[in-house]
Amino acid sequence: MNNIDSDSDGAFGLPPDTPYAVPPATPAKPSVLRARLARILATSGVRTAEDDGTPSHFSFGVDRIDTALRGNAGVDGLPRAALHELHAASKDDRTSTAAMALLMAQRCQILGQDGRPILWISESGEARRQGRLYPPGLAELGIDPDSIIHVDAPDSIAALRAAADGVRSSAMAAVIIELAGKKPKGLDLTATRRLSLSAQKSGVLSLVLRSGSDADNPLPTAAFSRWSVAAAPSLALEANAPGHSAFDITLLRHRSGLYGLSARLEWNRDEEIFREQQRAPDTGAVPALAAVRADHPGTRAA
Amino acid sequence: MVIMAADRQAVSLGLGPGMKLADARARVPDLLAFDHQPLADADLLSRLAEACERYTPMVAVEPPYALILDITGAAHLHGNEERLAQDAEDRLDAAGYSSQWALAGTADAALALARHGLKEGAEAQLPVAALAMDEKTHQSLERAGLYKIGDLAERPRANLAARFGMELTVRLDRILGLEDRPIDPLRRIGNVVTERRFAEPLTHIDAALACLSELFAEASERLNEREQGARMIRMMLFRCDGDVARLGLETGAPTRDAALFKRLLRERIEALNDELNPGFGYDLIRLSIVASDVLAPQQLRLEGGEDRQGDEVALVSQLSTRLGRDRVQKFAPADSHIPEQGLLALPALNAPPPVPWQRLSPDNPPMRPLHMFDPPQRVQVIAEVPDGPPYRFTWRRKSHQVIRYEGPERIASEWWQRKDGQQPGKGGLTRDYYRVEDARGRRYWLFRHGLYGEEKANPDWYVHGLFA
Repeated sequence: MNNIDSDSDGAFGLPPDTPYAVPPATPAKPSVLRARLARILATSGVRTAEDDGTPSHFSFGVDRIDTALRGNAGVDGLPRAALHELHAASKDDRTSTAAMALLMAQRCQILGQDGRPILWISESGEARRQGRLYPPGLAELGIDPDSIIHVDAPDSIAALRAAADGVRSSAMAAVIIELAGKKPKGLDLTATRRLSLSAQKSGVLSLVLRSGSDADNPLPTAAFSRWSVAAAPSLALEANAPGHSAFDITLLRHRSGLYGLSARLEWNRDEEIFREQQRAPDTGAVPALAAVRADHPGTRAA
Repeated sequence: MVIMAADRQAVSLGLGPGMKLADARARVPDLLAFDHQPLADADLLSRLAEACERYTPMVAVEPPYALILDITGAAHLHGNEERLAQDAEDRLDAAGYSSQWALAGTADAALALARHGLKEGAEAQLPVAALAMDEKTHQSLERAGLYKIGDLAERPRANLAARFGMELTVRLDRILGLEDRPIDPLRRIGNVVTERRFAEPLTHIDAALACLSELFAEASERLNEREQGARMIRMMLFRCDGDVARLGLETGAPTRDAALFKRLLRERIEALNDELNPGFGYDLIRLSIVASDVLAPQQLRLEGGEDRQGDEVALVSQLSTRLGRDRVQKFAPADSHIPEQGLLALPALNAPPPVPWQRLSPDNPPMRPLHMFDPPQRVQVIAEVPDGPPYRFTWRRKSHQVIRYEGPERIASEWWQRKDGQQPGKGGLTRDYYRVEDARGRRYWLFRHGLYGEEKANPDWYVHGLFA
């Protein structure tokens, strides 16, 4: 698993006449250093500010996570113009992973404020067996079903091709592609690198969802970050009714070398923001508690 | 068995339609007979009709054995009318079909003349059978001494109509060219049609595609004058051996963009099941815009902004062309309270304007699942009778302990859609939906199908969806 380090190309690739390439005589001020860092990051594709004024990063809305994700870029949250990977912790967590991806896209979409749609691509066979997106359910999560363009690809190769087209055109707010199985055909370092580069260029958030992937031995990809998502017990409402959607997320890999960050998030539809779940939900059945933790090992090195 | 059709040689031997096969065999022992296949005949005729579209776009099929070509304004391309008809006969001849043709002012006159082997202007000499009325009418006409159309033409119409009905006078007028009937051409003529003819057939597919792009540019220039853009484009590549390859394209919004057209065309050709085969070459390529919409001339921002709406349309068109229009969808609400019928997945290419979805009450968790199973999946449930919540359920061989639930949300069936639905017991089964959460934090949408004891003795349980 190596990070694609185009950072170094950028640093060495500067023309010799730029002042940054020559070590300054006086000790560099922090502002100069920051400018230099920004310059390096700009060439490595990590954008810190967009030309059109919209923020380059989107956040979960949970300060602890957002600041921890700051990394090298110096901005809270995750970069918009990048490829991120979401893995379902187990096959049964496919719905939670899909919801997480849509909600991340939603967080991203409200930054742009221009009502660009979300391109959702899934394999038709998998959708038939494991359930399809249900628009009233999208609306219940606070996502406008009208903003979804749903593509039913016959296989993973067609899906990846459609995703490549979607990411290349800047008409979409986000492109989400859902792939099932341990090793989906066509998903490799080249394909993800291509998606990632297109995303950097067009500024489209691209998300790859994986269900049934091998968590201990993930395929090498060029994703900026990789997360594991699982359903979490919700905080019960009155009369012990199931509460708001809750997720266990774990950062498996990040280009800045972060890992092991994990949180239990709850989606607040009315404010369109994530919140950390405040108190541990009373799961009732005592033996079940052990099962929850055993199933999602908290940290996993990338 | 009866003879349905006979070739020229058979006719010269005195055989013909309507004769019994046994009688014909008695006369000509080495007769070759084949089973009558009306569908295959119709198919062949329609293929011949398509091939005749090289002369005029107005080609109508006249079952069982005739084609009508409206060559108004098309004849000069071949010199004159006779030469056009002769060319058609030659080509049919070369392909092994015998044919008879006639030119006339109206479709019915031409049909009658061709059927009876006469040429233009000989309408008066046609037998009364050319009216194609029933046998009895023909006989009574002949009994009255009226053998030819010419005999009838001189008679006062009122008397004929009184004796034989209006139908006869109408048909008579049509044959005499006093009245015309519209023909029903195989294909509607496009709004804008551009075509190229080649003296030397094009044998390279790339050249043909380049030609199509040029034709589209020409067509879009003409669309531009009308402030319109193409929605549906039809292309026909006529091979010199009579085969016709057709291609269709649809776009999500009216367009005059040549680059987009090229991209879509490439996608379309890649998606073809059997590749385009130029064979001995294409001698005519035609592109028609069959559907168009208003598209005002556009100017982007002066400082060079991007056309975001256009990009979205281009992407949707491209994906629809590659994957098929039904695979790229947008959702619209449908008017039904049955959960799986409450939505429509429409092709994004021509999705209707967005309709607002149901408003939600604030601060509620999702009441509808994100993923839905259609059809719902059977689960084994332990629940209290008659209408208690599920306590434990087994789905896909895994057991789930329910620790939270909400429900039931009762959804009745659409009894008004069923036959005798208003009568007790025939209105369909009521569903009781429960939102449940298991010990591992996964949320399911379960329902009991039928009211215990009232509608069903032992109702089944299903999982209909999964919540995030």
